[in-house]
Amino acid sequence: MAGFATLVSPTDLPTLRKAHLRETQDGARALDTFLAGVERKAFRIAQIALRHEADALDVVQDAMLQLSARYAGRPAEEWRPLFYRILENRIRDVQRRRSVRNRVLAWMPWRGGEDDGESADAVAQAMDGAPTPAVQLQSDQMLVALEQALTALPNRQRQAFMLRNFEGLDVAGTATAMKCSQGSVKTHYFRAVQALRAKLGEYRI
Amino acid sequence: MNAGDEQQHTVGRIEQSTRALLLASADRLSGTVRSRLRQARHAAVRARGQHRQLRLQRWAPAGAVATAALALFVVLAPHRSTPPIMPVANDALEDIDLLASDVPLNGVQGVNNNNNEFYEWAADEASSGLGAGAVSAAGVPSSGM
Repeated sequence: MAGFATLVSPTDLPTLRKAHLRETQDGARALDTFLAGVERKAFRIAQIALRHEADALDVVQDAMLQLSARYAGRPAEEWRPLFYRILENRIRDVQRRRSVRNRVLAWMPWRGGEDDGESADAVAQAMDGAPTPAVQLQSDQMLVALEQALTALPNRQRQAFMLRNFEGLDVAGTATAMKCSQGSVKTHYFRAVQALRAKLGEYRI
Repeated sequence: MNAGDEQQHTVGRIEQSTRALLLASADRLSGTVRSRLRQARHAAVRARGQHRQLRLQRWAPAGAVATAALALFVVLAPHRSTPPIMPVANDALEDIDLLASDVPLNGVQGVNNNNNEFYEWAADEASSGLGAGAVSAAGVPSSGM
């Protein structure tokens, strides 16, 4: 009883409360910093995979919420692979839903243009944040070509390339995010680079 | 530079160029998209750790009902005295007590004291009601009555 009184004496309660509050605030700040660091890349990964801005935003938001709700208590160094694993799962869910929907709609005699806004015109989806001088135009053309080449890659190759090259995850982190072995990551990445090289050679990228 | 080196060089160049292009595109996202991403981030930070709380909240009513039911059962269930754990062993102990006590057993006492009043009465009752067979069964000779 004396030990208990020593541990949580009434004079210590405000200190403990402050410590808990500080810990909570630190955790929230760390999570905010992490999400701020990955949100744009995550959006671009989702956008290139789904070719739809609104779907990409939804997918990123879902991934953020799930990471925050389920894995915020994990060590911060585990967040990145976990976040991208969630993101890839969400992207795959959307792709499956689309696939089922398109299969069903294919039987509908009255279906019109089923793209409902997800135009494949990559130029229309080009970024609008910068002016477009001549140099920028060339860069935009290369970006469009790159996005088309990435879109044409098989899913696993595109995932490996985006996570390794764009996001900068190491092989182990990419393997965790893709739920496969490190050897598979290396194979997918190598094939992706070879395919991009074959497709983008004319742009002298 | 041989073919292998040139291929390696090309691969390295593609890796660097594509990374630079993609990073530049991520930096040039529209204001609308950046705003949506910021909102999503803030919502996610607010939702931090709520999964565990939600799970607890989801199970709290069920836990309360189960606890209440258990308490009701404990309070309202009929309390029965516990049966003897080993009845045979208990009987044997009682027999030992009887044999060890100083008080003589009834049957032996009756025989030793020639106190046959009870047997006589029982024999009379038997002969008047049930017949001699019952008296014989009681172990008292009917001829002596």
